[in-house]
Amino acid sequence: MLALFCLMLSGTAGAAAYFFPVVVAGVGQTGQTVVVPPSRSPGSQATPAPSAAPGSPFTVLLLGSDDDGKNKSPLTQSMILIRVEPATKHVTMLSIPRDLWVPLSTGGSAKIDAAYAYGGAAAAIATVERNFHVHIDEYAWVGLKGLIKLIDRLGGVDLLITNPVLDDAYPDDIDTKFLYGYKRVAVLPGFQHLDGSHALQYVRSRHNDVNGDFGRSARQQQVLLAIKAKASTLNAADLPDIVDTLKGNFKTSMGLDRVRSLLGVAAAFDLANIKQVVLYVPLYTSYGQISGQSVILPHWSQILAVTKENFP
Amino acid sequence: MILRRVAVILFVPVMLAFGSGVYLYLGTLKSKVVQERPQLPTVTKPKFVLPGTMFVVQAGRLFKLEAGGFTEVGPAGDWSQPTLTPDHTRMVAVMRGGNSSDLYLLDLGGHILKRLTKDDSRFLDSNHWAFYPRISPDGANVVYSFDSPKNLKGVQEGVDLSVWSMPLNGAQSQARRWTDPYWYTGGDVTPIPLVSGGLLFVRHSIDPSTTVHSRIYYQSHALAIAKPLTTEADDCSQAALSPDGTQLAMVCSHGKQTATLEVAPFSGTTLGPARVLLDGGLYASPAWSPDGKALAYFAPQGQAGHFQLWWLALPVSPTTSPSAAGSASTSASARASSSLAPAPAPVQVTEGVDLSATSPPAWY
Repeated sequence: MLALFCLMLSGTAGAAAYFFPVVVAGVGQTGQTVVVPPSRSPGSQATPAPSAAPGSPFTVLLLGSDDDGKNKSPLTQSMILIRVEPATKHVTMLSIPRDLWVPLSTGGSAKIDAAYAYGGAAAAIATVERNFHVHIDEYAWVGLKGLIKLIDRLGGVDLLITNPVLDDAYPDDIDTKFLYGYKRVAVLPGFQHLDGSHALQYVRSRHNDVNGDFGRSARQQQVLLAIKAKASTLNAADLPDIVDTLKGNFKTSMGLDRVRSLLGVAAAFDLANIKQVVLYVPLYTSYGQISGQSVILPHWSQILAVTKENFP
Repeated sequence: MILRRVAVILFVPVMLAFGSGVYLYLGTLKSKVVQERPQLPTVTKPKFVLPGTMFVVQAGRLFKLEAGGFTEVGPAGDWSQPTLTPDHTRMVAVMRGGNSSDLYLLDLGGHILKRLTKDDSRFLDSNHWAFYPRISPDGANVVYSFDSPKNLKGVQEGVDLSVWSMPLNGAQSQARRWTDPYWYTGGDVTPIPLVSGGLLFVRHSIDPSTTVHSRIYYQSHALAIAKPLTTEADDCSQAALSPDGTQLAMVCSHGKQTATLEVAPFSGTTLGPARVLLDGGLYASPAWSPDGKALAYFAPQGQAGHFQLWWLALPVSPTTSPSAAGSASTSASARASSSLAPAPAPVQVTEGVDLSATSPPAWY
């Protein structure tokens, strides 16, 4: 009897050692608390609502930004609002243009990519909530290096590149000492298997796309779906590797329970049940100049109609 | 008492071994996508022996597939897109540098005979890309996609590929531009020089709803007006001309994230109704067998999604005349009118490798 107990104890110790990185990450990277500040922006509204109960629909704000030390407070290069409906297995993704000119929760108006720089995740959430009239339950932040490592850990992603993505001014700031250089990139068209760094080039390039940042937003959603397709094949035994991969490059307000349930949910979702929204010109937005900056001006009546429909 | 102590001392290693065993066992439960890493072709054995000799690329390395075995050829470098001369004695391939790419003439053993282009510069903006080389049927010229001229009229400098042609035994200064792409689309790619002196290529465009399209075009001579052979809705690309020049294989995505692999009769200037050979996969870079009776192509296999080489025997040749279909003919209705025996099931040739899907096989 004692021998059996000792064997169970040693087995539990072995399992605990295996999942130790997950526990460490659970403490350090998940369950991040954010305090959304009260509104200081005239004309904008907060939409307070209770957080989603387990199993009910919830909304995640996905943030992507530099993590290369170039800026102490990095701008977000990607903001995607994602609503997950576990019961109906529907997902809606809405990309928010980084140059969208909005009142910030921290005061004043600026491009929306500055919200995270000025006040971290809390300010980014508050700014999106107040301008888009949505409630955000969770957020997740991924750094550029984190995206590269995640895709590499997943063994790469399969994508259809519809046209050549060429850029003569692509930031050369990954794994280099000088963070302000540029390089040329060329991602060729066709179905192909991309590793992390090439997938990053695909989602980050924006200088030769006739659709500008909107084209980039569509590419980001495409890669997100490819990652989702790969993630749907993961299981609990993969968690230590994934956590180790994302160390320092990932933060989320979601607890481990919700992260784990998301993996399960990802496996069940069908591409046909995923709705993608990009706020293209001219219906939702228009191009403009404010204080010498090229900005994207929101058409709030159209935007709020689409957010009300998709993010009730 | 002593016996009990001995038993405890002996049991400790058992506990350690069991705990370690649990740790290691959990590691074996990892999914394939996390565990699986591609192998070099040279350490794998193809599952199917292809006729002739084929050159393919993995991770910037050139490999020759012959008699059911791979050998690596060529010097170190980031190689891609090998293409053969009509007499099958030499090949042209692309070598990428940091900010540019160049065309090189090599023998079939992979030894460099000549550097055809010099596209690198210490000034970033003065670098160029050269991709998709193809040798003209008479062996005199190499046509390729080249990012010049750069569009300086826009808000920011545009980089789009045009099709260029230069003498295979000449200099880059003798190169001349053939096509005029739509700006900010990425441009014109995968040129195929024809016996007639004309050209097939793929042009990218963006419609008013901001959707990107790819279409196969025919152009009779340099800078002439190009004629589309496929529709916007079909999104066809990656054309491959059969050895006798009468059929065109292509990949059409129809605005989706999967594609069809199709073959259509080609008159020299027009395409006939297309036959859909395969549907619903991620097909890439089809190439014709030397006898024109089969296709090789790339498609992912398994959870990891690495692209493998596949072989597909073709059904009986079509009887439909290309001239009956006219231009932009591969519409859905044209496809539906085709009534041929279904194509045999594709055969997987490689396993566990990660072949470059943007480098079509060079096969003779």
